[in-house]
Amino acid sequence: MAGEPILEIRDIRKNFGAYQALKGVSLSVKQGEFIALVGPSGCGKTTLLKQIAGFEEPDSGNLSIAGQPMLGVPAAERPTSMVFQKLALFPHMTVAENIGFPLKLRKVDANVIAKRVEAMIELMQLKREYLTRYPRQLSGGEQQRVALARSMISEPKLLLLDEPLSALDVKLKKVLQAELKRLHRSVGVTFVHVTHDLEEAIMLADRICVMRSGEILQVGGPNDIYYRPADTFVAGFIGDTNLIAVDAKGGAVSAPGLSAADPSVPAQYIAPGLTDGPALLMVRPELITPLAAHEQADFILDVTITEVFCKGGTVQFRSIMTNGAPLVFELPGASKQPADIGDRLRLGFPKRDIYLFRERAAA
Amino acid sequence: MSGEIDRSWRDPELLVKALPSVILQTAFFLAPLLMTVALTFQQTKNYQLQWTWSLFVWTDIFSKGHYWTILGHTLFMAITCVILCLVIAFPVAYALATRVRAYQNHVKVLITFAFLTDATLKTFGWVLFLDKNGAANYLLQQIGFPPAVVDILFTDWATMLGMVYNLLSFAIFTIYLSIDAIDRSLILAAYDAGASKFRAFWEVTLPLARPGIWAASVLIFLLAVGVFLEPKVLGGGKSPMSAELIRQTFETRVNWPLGAALTLVLMTVAVFVVLLFNRVYSLKRHMGPV
Repeated sequence: MAGEPILEIRDIRKNFGAYQALKGVSLSVKQGEFIALVGPSGCGKTTLLKQIAGFEEPDSGNLSIAGQPMLGVPAAERPTSMVFQKLALFPHMTVAENIGFPLKLRKVDANVIAKRVEAMIELMQLKREYLTRYPRQLSGGEQQRVALARSMISEPKLLLLDEPLSALDVKLKKVLQAELKRLHRSVGVTFVHVTHDLEEAIMLADRICVMRSGEILQVGGPNDIYYRPADTFVAGFIGDTNLIAVDAKGGAVSAPGLSAADPSVPAQYIAPGLTDGPALLMVRPELITPLAAHEQADFILDVTITEVFCKGGTVQFRSIMTNGAPLVFELPGASKQPADIGDRLRLGFPKRDIYLFRERAAA
Repeated sequence: MSGEIDRSWRDPELLVKALPSVILQTAFFLAPLLMTVALTFQQTKNYQLQWTWSLFVWTDIFSKGHYWTILGHTLFMAITCVILCLVIAFPVAYALATRVRAYQNHVKVLITFAFLTDATLKTFGWVLFLDKNGAANYLLQQIGFPPAVVDILFTDWATMLGMVYNLLSFAIFTIYLSIDAIDRSLILAAYDAGASKFRAFWEVTLPLARPGIWAASVLIFLLAVGVFLEPKVLGGGKSPMSAELIRQTFETRVNWPLGAALTLVLMTVAVFVVLLFNRVYSLKRHMGPV
């Protein structure tokens, strides 16, 4: 049933010796969702995926899939299927044998397997003549499709993807990202995708779960993560951002060098429960624009340009504010370059899509 | 590659580069082999080699069943040794590569030490162990067995024990390397696809370890065909194997032509067995696992 939780994770802990790989992780995933587990290396995202797949057993906590408790159930009997980072295609089997392997283990009739394999080949847009080839005779992208086909042929309830795109070159990665999205839409299986690339996660996933040091920092839609980060780690994890140190008082902000006619921040851009005191104002680089002599903006500040980077479609400027803090902003590349290194500029940004929050006390 | 005739031998630069190898091969492999072939067409008289070209030795070999019995016995012993080594080495190598990873290096060092100890020494050690009044019987008697239960010294059993013991490490290391090279995620992928531990082993580990098993088989077969120490020391020389027969023919009977002919026969048969084995193996590989 759509919208029903298919995967329930309750307070899972996993230690390797003295090392805490998962420090009490809880997560609920709905049927048909595309969820991404994101974080730097060693954040526990792959460990969490292994607990779901059944390759490892957590030290404590609960895990259920489609209402069935899964702890103690071996990987072979879980309704999950994994696409491995290194794909793990069986080198001694042909493409057809690889894809049909899960069905062969389920003692499905050989003719039925052949038909299902062909259907998968079609779904993955692979050529039929590949069926008799061996994985090493295929390109990286084709191997990827074979691995996906093998994982999906047994119609798992959960498809687990362990950074399968990380080893590919950028161009192929883009193609396969689109492919994954299309596949998810067409088959309606729940995808749990592990990646260290937050941009990939934002592109693909309905919901993103950001992890660090064995903990979940934030779970939310791409916009939540981008515009309402839980802390500076999440804010800095995706692309460049500015975190301006401000003093918050009754929803209004003040900072040296920052001027505003009305320094109040709309309530929707303030972190829930924020109290008065030092806080951070997050302003994404693309919100900031240079101002003409008497032009006004909601917030205004002066900077000196230190670096200019051409990023293709946009030009990125690095600068320092009057109090010495760095500020980065981006302008469309087509517009006339307004400044060069060393220039002083008057910049402004609006009262939308900014975010006022406080850094979480370190646990 | 295919269809096109390789003409690299016409390349003068390549020929010059290949010269050292060609000289070495000719001097140390081809020339002795040709001399061996030439020797088989000579005769001996009063322990003196006579350069009289004749087929005497070959007619002797093909008319006497005795030589062929020994050859058959040698092949039987060698093939049995291969099978026993594989059966023992595979679990050891598998455990070494997958189970006892923490003690892996310790075990490897122990095996290497045993391997580096002189085979003659170890073989005589077995004599002391297997003797009627030896260590094995003494220990068994201490725990209540009747005296001299172990009475296999100077039989084929003792020979086989020595052969397997001396050649086992070749099998362990060759198979270990092939199992160790298997990507762990392949096994996980098999479990993930729904395979039991046994199925994952049968469908993934075993086929992927096949090159190692094959290499170990060939290596041990060729070494086992050539053993003379174990049949002499442990087998008591009662049922000699081909290598011992050849040694005797050269040294004791000083019949070099006959020795050379027996050598060639053994070589040919060994190569033939390896080729046959190779063919079966590559056939299986092309068919893939059933």
